Amino acid sequence: MKIDTATGKILHILYEKEVKASRFIDIYRKNNGDIYETVNYFLKYSNLKFKYAGEEQESGGKERDNTGCREISYGEIVDFILKNEVGLLGIGNDFYPKLLEQIYIPPPVLFFKGGMIKSMDFAVAVVGSRRCTVYGKEAAGYISKCLSEIGITIVSGLASGIDSFAHRAALEGKGGTIGVLGCGIDVVYPPENKSLYEEIPGNGSIVTEFVPGTPPLKSNFPVRNRIISGLCNGVVVVEAGEKSGALITGEIALKQDREVFAVPGNIFKDENRGCHRLIKQGAKLVDRIDDILEEFSQYRDQILSPDKKTGRILSNEKNHDSSLYGDDLKIYKFIGYKPKSVEEIVGYSGMELKNVLNIIASLEMKELIREDSFNKYVRLF
Amino acid sequence: MLFKLDSFTLTGIDAVRVSVEAHITRGLPEFIIVGLPGKAVNESRQRVRSAVINSGFDFPVKKIIINLSPADIKKDGSFYDLPIALAILSACRQVKPELSVESCFVGELSLDGSINPVSGLISMAEKAKRIGKKYFFVPYGIASQVSFISGLKIISCTNLFEAVEALSGYDKLEKFVYKKEKDDKKIDGYGFDFSDVKGQLKAKRALEIAVAGRHNIMLIGPPGSGKTMLARRTVTIMPDLSIQECIDVTRIYSLYKKDVNRLIKKRPFRSPHHTTSRMGLIGGGVNPKPGEISLAHKGVLFLDEFSQFPGINIEDLRQPLEDKEVTITRNNFSYAFPCNFMLVVATNPCYCGYFGNDSKKCVCSLNEIKRFWKKMSGPIMDRIDMRIAIGRLPESSFVDVNKGESSENIKERVNRCMEIQEKRFKGKGISYNSEVGTNIVNEWFEKDKNIRDLIYKISKRYDLTARGIMSVLKVSRTIADLEGSYYIKEHHLIEAVNYRVNFNYHLSSFINSL
Repeated sequence: MKIDTATGKILHILYEKEVKASRFIDIYRKNNGDIYETVNYFLKYSNLKFKYAGEEQESGGKERDNTGCREISYGEIVDFILKNEVGLLGIGNDFYPKLLEQIYIPPPVLFFKGGMIKSMDFAVAVVGSRRCTVYGKEAAGYISKCLSEIGITIVSGLASGIDSFAHRAALEGKGGTIGVLGCGIDVVYPPENKSLYEEIPGNGSIVTEFVPGTPPLKSNFPVRNRIISGLCNGVVVVEAGEKSGALITGEIALKQDREVFAVPGNIFKDENRGCHRLIKQGAKLVDRIDDILEEFSQYRDQILSPDKKTGRILSNEKNHDSSLYGDDLKIYKFIGYKPKSVEEIVGYSGMELKNVLNIIASLEMKELIREDSFNKYVRLF
Repeated sequence: MLFKLDSFTLTGIDAVRVSVEAHITRGLPEFIIVGLPGKAVNESRQRVRSAVINSGFDFPVKKIIINLSPADIKKDGSFYDLPIALAILSACRQVKPELSVESCFVGELSLDGSINPVSGLISMAEKAKRIGKKYFFVPYGIASQVSFISGLKIISCTNLFEAVEALSGYDKLEKFVYKKEKDDKKIDGYGFDFSDVKGQLKAKRALEIAVAGRHNIMLIGPPGSGKTMLARRTVTIMPDLSIQECIDVTRIYSLYKKDVNRLIKKRPFRSPHHTTSRMGLIGGGVNPKPGEISLAHKGVLFLDEFSQFPGINIEDLRQPLEDKEVTITRNNFSYAFPCNFMLVVATNPCYCGYFGNDSKKCVCSLNEIKRFWKKMSGPIMDRIDMRIAIGRLPESSFVDVNKGESSENIKERVNRCMEIQEKRFKGKGISYNSEVGTNIVNEWFEKDKNIRDLIYKISKRYDLTARGIMSVLKVSRTIADLEGSYYIKEHHLIEAVNYRVNFNYHLSSFINSL
């Protein structure tokens, strides 16, 4: 792909003259957001190499610049961009996301695949734990699907777990989805998301600030999280444990003045501790899609009045009770949202084990229940 | 002075006739054994000498040469003590051997002249009968092992003196002939029963099906969920061994240990530790001995902590599982040991053991879990038709006093199911549902369109491979047989799905990967 002049110069300054991103943004801000002035400021000192070691090292380390980048020369980056289907978006460009530009240190250049990043106007991030439960998966999928259908872009981190379900659910919708990577644009991580990585550019974008070839270092992810929340108007945390990276995203979002939402869960499970802490700190509890829409004036008209029964309340969306009867219904009703083991079901129903197994398997095939942990089943709807 | 007696050596599980020749000449006193004797055979010189003297005979102070013929088979073991001693005594005319041509001898001698047990007795007795011998001199303690063989008189002597006496005449022989015990038909209990297992209904049902169709089965569960307890009880619901099967089992055990004092009537249950060597598992050694897989012949081989077994040992099981026999080749000989066993394996679901369990949290990373399962995937998993997960029992069930179904009841159903299979596979060279090939399975389903649609639906929903589906179909056949149904119906198939934990499906369900 082609590189426009201004972006090319930014690349030159960052990777040829080795100016730190924080320094670059500093001057950019001093010039009131005039990219040409900024670029000229740096190019004037053509023989000097700028190195401001040690500056702008915030104690929290939540908003750092691109320190995780691998050593790569300017020429190599340009070569890579020209040869591959990868776009480059420099700060100051008309298409550079306005919201992102306002964060503390926005990335001076963004590598991207898929055009959505240029046209997106309203986005919500759906983030959560990499290790999620069936409940978290369903919640993330449902929220992403509903929001995407009314034109809201879903942003997430392309990690496994909640992130991948959010992306997958949003792929079909009008809003599309944006995945923000913690590695180079040519690195697929985690490997099981390869199919997602290939499908997203069709109805969305994959975005990163890291130069091509950057490995998914541990330190990259908190850095990436500031972009996830930076791109969005709000962040929904679906399932986050005590130390989940999704909590970092939530905290950064608060600093960036974004709306923060959290989906509540079972109080007895560790998987939900983080979400509940966010709620205690003032995040908005979400148990209906409307809870999210209420916070955004341009989407207020999409809110359903309570008497409309098309159902925006999460749990009642699909109701299959009507298609079941007899023993099937009895067992389906017994299997609640708390996992029930096969033995419990047999004890309750008084039926023979083989009949119970039959009903369980057929309910599972109708996607009404699912094995939650080994031999324990939960209701999906 | 020359004298000849017959004895046996073992090549694997088969016995070979060995004639023990003693030649006593004048010359410097010497005692030599030739004919490829092993260490144990060579040492028998000292035992024989002492035993002869301590039994009240004279040991000839002459040059003694013992030849074990055929001379090109390596011989090891302590079978030859008794025949060597008798041959020497006969050669130097201290004994009048009336019956030596019609007899054969095995036995290890103690220094005081008493006769100790040896291994491999059944194979030798069968061979003795085949070569037309009438009397078989065996150590006293283990004679009941071979009492079932008709047409061969088992002479059991406690010591060398008795053996000499028995050998010397028909009239004296009778009192040493071994007589069958009366209560031989009784089967010992296993000491445990399926009714001991509380809860775990699904696992019990799965084991019933597994035994009925001889499907190999994998139990997946956290520590303390009762995997081992369940596995131990599989043998209690297997049909009783027929006499021929008892003989086959005892034959292998008599090679493995010496003190098998009767026909084994229990199904063997072998549970080798995961540090067992390849040879220990498959069989082998310089003088090949049956391994764990052969010791589990006609019974259950239980591999606990399956994930801990070295990959190479697991791969070794592939061919024996298919062929029901393992052939071990060493130097000049190939030894074949039968190994028709049912494989039961148990494993935790991950390194920490708590994956997919809601009582305790699993601390493994996704990659660790994947690595854990990758090790087990592959050809050996294809041979395990049923994979069931078992959870820990809730505390309330420990105080439950209701007993489950007894092994006796379950065994009855299994027996009926076996009969049906026997009829179905008559003349086809197989005996169980689990052994059928793809073409036969397809025959079962080609007529019923509804079933075929259902199969398609199942394979899509549960992300099953062709092999996975094949396993489900075979298991559904067994379920139908247990019910006595000629046709496989939809509910048989749907039940079978429950017994196939597809780990990819579970991974996607529990954690995420798409």
